[in-house]
Amino acid sequence: MSCEYPESTKQAGRRYTRGMLLAGGPYMAFVALGVVVIRQMSPPQWLVIVLALLPVLPALLMLRTYLTFFRALDEFQRRVQAEAALITLGVVTIAAFGYGFLEAWAGFPHVPLIWAIPAVIVTWGVSTFFVRARYK
Amino acid sequence: MRNRLKVLRAERNWSQADLAERLDVSRQSVNAIETGKYDPSLPLAFKIARVFGLTIEQIFIEEQSAAEAAE
Repeated sequence: MSCEYPESTKQAGRRYTRGMLLAGGPYMAFVALGVVVIRQMSPPQWLVIVLALLPVLPALLMLRTYLTFFRALDEFQRRVQAEAALITLGVVTIAAFGYGFLEAWAGFPHVPLIWAIPAVIVTWGVSTFFVRARYK
Repeated sequence: MRNRLKVLRAERNWSQADLAERLDVSRQSVNAIETGKYDPSLPLAFKIARVFGLTIEQIFIEEQSAAEAAE
């Protein structure tokens, strides 16, 4: 009887992986479609807007998948995830806030907002590692 | 809040993973509770008490009560 996580968490983990893969496929397809259509076909502005917003749909599905996973965790694991999320919120928004001033006042190069999600994912991973280590 | 989880577990020859499985939580959760780094919710505290066949007060000791008892 030696296991790190209970069966309920393992099942939630499998659902999470499945959900992320299901959302990841359409995400990559929408991005590829957008790049090809916008670069090679000069579509009208309304279509460009639709294509630009299409990848948001699978991103919302990923958020829903994560929330379902979060709710299936035990209370301590939820605490770890919540603390990591709070740290991520603080770090990413303060970094964006600070860089905004650097851009506006010091002429630093513009960073597109599309980098927000990768920044959140990386910061979340790092903060989860440190929060977990704190409770060991 | 202090607790007697480690002693109670040792008396029954249970590993952290064994207790975690009985409580349907992760092993890290048991470790965090045992080391006093995380205080369980009331429902989980009741579940822990039920698993050991004891009352909550027999497992968890409030810091203030422990200090008063030591005086």
